[in-house]
Amino acid sequence: MLQPLSTSRRSSRARSRPFRFAAILAGVGLLVAACGTNAGSTAPGGSASQAAGSQAPAVSPAASVGGTLTVWAMGNEGVKLKDLAATFMKDNPGTTVNVTPVDWGQAVAKLTTAIAGHQVPDVSQMGTDMMGQFAATAALETVPATFQASTFFQAAWNTNIVNGTVYGVPWYVETRLLYYRTDIATKAGISTPPATWDDLMTMATAMKSKGGATWGIGLGAKNWQEYLPFLWSNGGDVMDAQGKFQLNSPQAVEALTFYESFFKAGLTPKSVPANFDITPAFVAGTHPMFFSGPWHIGLLKTAGGAGFDAKWALAPMPKKVTATSFIGGGNLVVYKDSKNKDLAWKFVQYLTDPKTQVAWYADVTDLPAVQAAWDDPTLKNDKNVALFGQQLKDTKAQPAISTWSELATALNGTLEKMTSGTLDPKAAADEMQKEAETIGVGK
Amino acid sequence: MTVPALAQRRAAEAAPPASRRPWRDDLVGWTFAAPFVILFGIFLAFPILASFVLSFTSFGLKDLANPVGSTVVGLKNYVDLFSDPVFWTALFNTFYFVIVGVPLTLVFGLLIATALNRGVSRFRTVFRVGYYLPVITSIVAIAVVWRFLLDPDVGLINMALGGLGINGPAWLADPVLAMPSIIAMAVWRNLGFAMIVFLAGLQAIPAMLYEAAAIDGAGRWQGFRYVTLPMLRPTILFMTVITTIGYLQLFEEPFVMTGGGPLNKTLSITMYMYQQGFTFFHQGFASSIAYVLFVIVAFVAFLQFKFLRSDE
Repeated sequence: MLQPLSTSRRSSRARSRPFRFAAILAGVGLLVAACGTNAGSTAPGGSASQAAGSQAPAVSPAASVGGTLTVWAMGNEGVKLKDLAATFMKDNPGTTVNVTPVDWGQAVAKLTTAIAGHQVPDVSQMGTDMMGQFAATAALETVPATFQASTFFQAAWNTNIVNGTVYGVPWYVETRLLYYRTDIATKAGISTPPATWDDLMTMATAMKSKGGATWGIGLGAKNWQEYLPFLWSNGGDVMDAQGKFQLNSPQAVEALTFYESFFKAGLTPKSVPANFDITPAFVAGTHPMFFSGPWHIGLLKTAGGAGFDAKWALAPMPKKVTATSFIGGGNLVVYKDSKNKDLAWKFVQYLTDPKTQVAWYADVTDLPAVQAAWDDPTLKNDKNVALFGQQLKDTKAQPAISTWSELATALNGTLEKMTSGTLDPKAAADEMQKEAETIGVGK
Repeated sequence: MTVPALAQRRAAEAAPPASRRPWRDDLVGWTFAAPFVILFGIFLAFPILASFVLSFTSFGLKDLANPVGSTVVGLKNYVDLFSDPVFWTALFNTFYFVIVGVPLTLVFGLLIATALNRGVSRFRTVFRVGYYLPVITSIVAIAVVWRFLLDPDVGLINMALGGLGINGPAWLADPVLAMPSIIAMAVWRNLGFAMIVFLAGLQAIPAMLYEAAAIDGAGRWQGFRYVTLPMLRPTILFMTVITTIGYLQLFEEPFVMTGGGPLNKTLSITMYMYQQGFTFFHQGFASSIAYVLFVIVAFVAFLQFKFLRSDE
């Protein structure tokens, strides 16, 4: 069955009449790629074989390696990374680091195009949820043993492990906490943040009935990132240790039932428009609670204006069996086609140095993935940021499988059916399990 | 296509008898045609062929850097596609959009064209520009603005309804109303193009036909029914085919406004293809969707030609 093909198309994003033009671009890209690279530089067969294939270069911080690096970073990181690159170049004479900012919306398309054309950067940032997909392209270099797992938050490190091989290093992290309106809680007769699932339900009910809010809480009607923390906190998981899906375990059904109960009781809106912005709704007080990441601290400061800071607070994930939250963020990867891997790893090492991590937090407020960085007073003494640091110790991420984006879409679809009332929690759990088994884990 | 092809033909026609260096004329012709032929070959013919080949493979992420290594799976993609419930949902949504949207666009376009042709003569240019502006405005900008308009809480439409004492629905988040909302936007946006084409068609109808009809005692409606419509038949055929093909490729509107939701109620075939190809990286599978869509478009266009031309 293994017959070679001479032609092919790979991805590229174009906005209008996307497919045709994408196909066109792709076709040309491949022609160019086919002409420009030496055949046999990559072997097919997926990620399983490459762990042995690439030997980890021994990087010692003292070794002086010169040369030029191209680094792609996304979003705000892409804009600000130049600052760190400048310091790195000063510390390492003879090196040049070119930072290319990439728009998040284009990131996957641009990276896949680069891989197909063998025109990759040396280092790039990568979303924690993209690791499975990109490991499957066999374009990523294995992380050398000089990087210690114990340096990082464990869940962040784990997002880099695909089929037992480590393909990236955590750069920054984010996790989700409960944002709640203290003034509305007081009005509803509640003075402490919710510690347990039952507390959360009681609080949402009281905020709606006594606190005068339109809703009790703003939960995602179709967002796996908001559902999974409940699954994990109830002792469940997406997959077991053997890699088998367990999305319809009793724990999962229970977690879904709890999640659904907010929708059933009218405590959270059943239909949420695409691109709904929770920030103004929270400021207005219609949605007095929601789960979100550290970026909302800044957003609330801007949207709430003077005096709003006194009206809200953060609380850790409410506890059931555990109080586990979702971890996301960005990793750093080095590409196999890189001509300067030693320098690339050195740059990664520099970015994940505790001191650099603290400086990076001061510059762009990205939370450090390196645990030691959290001892710094700038992080420790900020009450809200410290709460995120606490929560990071109890976090999990989606499994690093190449089919994750597909499975995530399926999970969202089923969640939407459940929250809109079409499916009951048991049926939803069974559907998730069935979808997951159909989609599989990729190769 | 026309310009180089024409140039080539002219060059050929002007060519003197074969004895006098015909290769030179050929060369001139081909030189003129070359930009088109080369671009067509690289940007259209090759990808179309390549994606056809792809549709019989399991091409995906693992083959990105080494496309030659992808596995040939025969008709598996097509078999999987037809047993995929999401495909049928997307197909249903797309036809819903076409069957409701195309007649509405054409009827409104024709009505406005007729009104501009006869009734309103003073501000004709103003109206023409006004109706045509949405056509040339970026669809993404339009979709974003419409998303604001249709916002359940702060949208202009629901605020207006609220002023009348009506509690407006969550247009784009409601499984029943989402597609009609998108159709309304698409019709509003595209009727300008239909109007321009119909207006051109209307102005090409000789006034004496109406005069003759009037002498025979035809009223305004009869004039429209027995003069305008038959004379416009080729224009209507053209617009139907063009609009149908365009609408079958529905993408930007749901992509920007709803992301295919709620509950996949606005997921179109093209969006599904995009999702499979560029989000899930099942590019072999996505190519099979492209070819199924191609067959559907070709078949529908064929039917329309046959049906609308039958009277001639």
